[in-house]
Amino acid sequence: MMLLNMSLQIDQVNEGLVILLTGLIIVFCALLTLSLFFKFGLPVLLYIYRIITKGKDKKIKDIPIGADENFTGEIAAVISSAIHLYLNEQHDDENAILTIKQARKLYSPWSSKIYATHHRRL
Amino acid sequence: MKKILLIFGVLSLLIFIRPVLGFDSDTNPKDNITSVSSEQADNQEDGIYNNAFHGIQQFYNYTGFANATWGHILMILIGIIFIYLGIKYDYEPLLLIPIGAGVIIGNIPFVAGNQTGIYETGSVLNYLYFGVVKGVYPPLIFLGIGAMTDFSSLIANPKLMLLGAAAQIGVFATFLGALYLGFALPEAGAIGIIGGADGPTAIFLSSKLANGINILPDGTTVKNLIGPIAIAAYSYMALVPVIQPPIMRLLISKKDRKIRMKPPRAVSQKEKMIFPIVALLLTTFISPSALPLLGMLFFGNLLKESGRTERLADTARTKLIDIVTILLGVTVGASTQADIFITKDSMMIFGLGAISFVIATIGGLLFAKLMNLFLKGDNKINPLIGASGVSAVPDSARVVHAEALKSDPNNYLLMHAMAPNVSGVIGSAIAAGILLSFLG
Repeated sequence: MMLLNMSLQIDQVNEGLVILLTGLIIVFCALLTLSLFFKFGLPVLLYIYRIITKGKDKKIKDIPIGADENFTGEIAAVISSAIHLYLNEQHDDENAILTIKQARKLYSPWSSKIYATHHRRL
Repeated sequence: MKKILLIFGVLSLLIFIRPVLGFDSDTNPKDNITSVSSEQADNQEDGIYNNAFHGIQQFYNYTGFANATWGHILMILIGIIFIYLGIKYDYEPLLLIPIGAGVIIGNIPFVAGNQTGIYETGSVLNYLYFGVVKGVYPPLIFLGIGAMTDFSSLIANPKLMLLGAAAQIGVFATFLGALYLGFALPEAGAIGIIGGADGPTAIFLSSKLANGINILPDGTTVKNLIGPIAIAAYSYMALVPVIQPPIMRLLISKKDRKIRMKPPRAVSQKEKMIFPIVALLLTTFISPSALPLLGMLFFGNLLKESGRTERLADTARTKLIDIVTILLGVTVGASTQADIFITKDSMMIFGLGAISFVIATIGGLLFAKLMNLFLKGDNKINPLIGASGVSAVPDSARVVHAEALKSDPNNYLLMHAMAPNVSGVIGSAIAAGILLSFLG
């Protein structure tokens, strides 16, 4: 029985070795094909795609220039500066919540009657 | 205050008055069950105290204090250590804290047969554990990972994919080691995948190979090793910052550590879209058993890169993966019930897991050095990035980055290290598929 167990285990280890080798080779091959594909296959694919869709791409790309003869650089500058001003005009979006903080010193002369009445004379 | 006193007084009055008036409904069923104490009826006063004492004793027998064994307490301590490590040292807190809490939940001592424990059919925990046993959670996690991962560094430099394959030597070496230690073939396969450093893959494979249900050729049932394997995989993943740097310093010379790699080229959106589809086709045709993992991974990536399904990708990479991580973490933690978990096998699995991490790291590093022999000029790679070929996304890439910064404060390797890192995920999923098709 002991011997049988031993031989069974050795068999297992042998099978394990087989799995080890084949497994490693398969993993390597899988990732190798992937990397080869992305090294060489993908540029070809993209190239073919570009050839196939060349006509269509052109149609989208070709925006007729010269339709607006009145559109000068000055107008563009005005529009862009307006957009710039609009986007940067954060003054209007200021936080509307006002909080009154207690001043550290309790006395402040900002509304002092004395100053208001005697200011000129002081 | 008066009100509280009043309520308390009324309640206590009600409680005391009940047995005095003979409303004790509890005595009748008790008499039926324990016929020995039939004379209780003769002396009711005595019976009340007896019953009360009996009740308290029974209650005590149901508590954790009565059923605790040293194993439970040890496991609860381990759970607390996990939580401590997660909070204090920030070692993968998203994993360690749910698992730690799960370990505590799973090791509260209880009386069997009340549908409490995770291994009792019908208990709530058992239903949640179903997702682990049947391998439902791992593919969902992979969906989220796919929707998070940017494969562009891999597409820009496809040769780095080989590093991900080289690190898989850890899987197969551990597999062989487990066989030598006397594990059966399927069990050894499940243990080996710890070297893939990928928690979901490890759970997926162990739920298929070492689930305690399958029957071996010699007639015995396979052991249930999901708990130990998952815990080992996740804890070593969390310990990547501890395990890897010494090996890197040992194997890679100071000069090599300073190699700078040229920045990866820009990758167009078209290439990014083609990648998941082509990779899905290629990898799953080679290893169809890994379909649940790889299919979901690349599907998630397609959702991200297609540019049209941003909503779905967003859900997959945030809410969905969070929910599944919570359930997976807690149930995997809870599956470490002391009477099932603390065995010699678990200890061996922990030992093998550590060795497999070391071998995988060495494999990646040495293969990177080997690749450098064939590369020239500024195409040379920094051999440190080989270490991130073990998956453990993105921790091992971060470790590589930190290690490179130590020898040259201006050498940023993170982007380069992500390439072998994500290809390690693909590689370990393929390896899992191969093991599954050989042994399943």
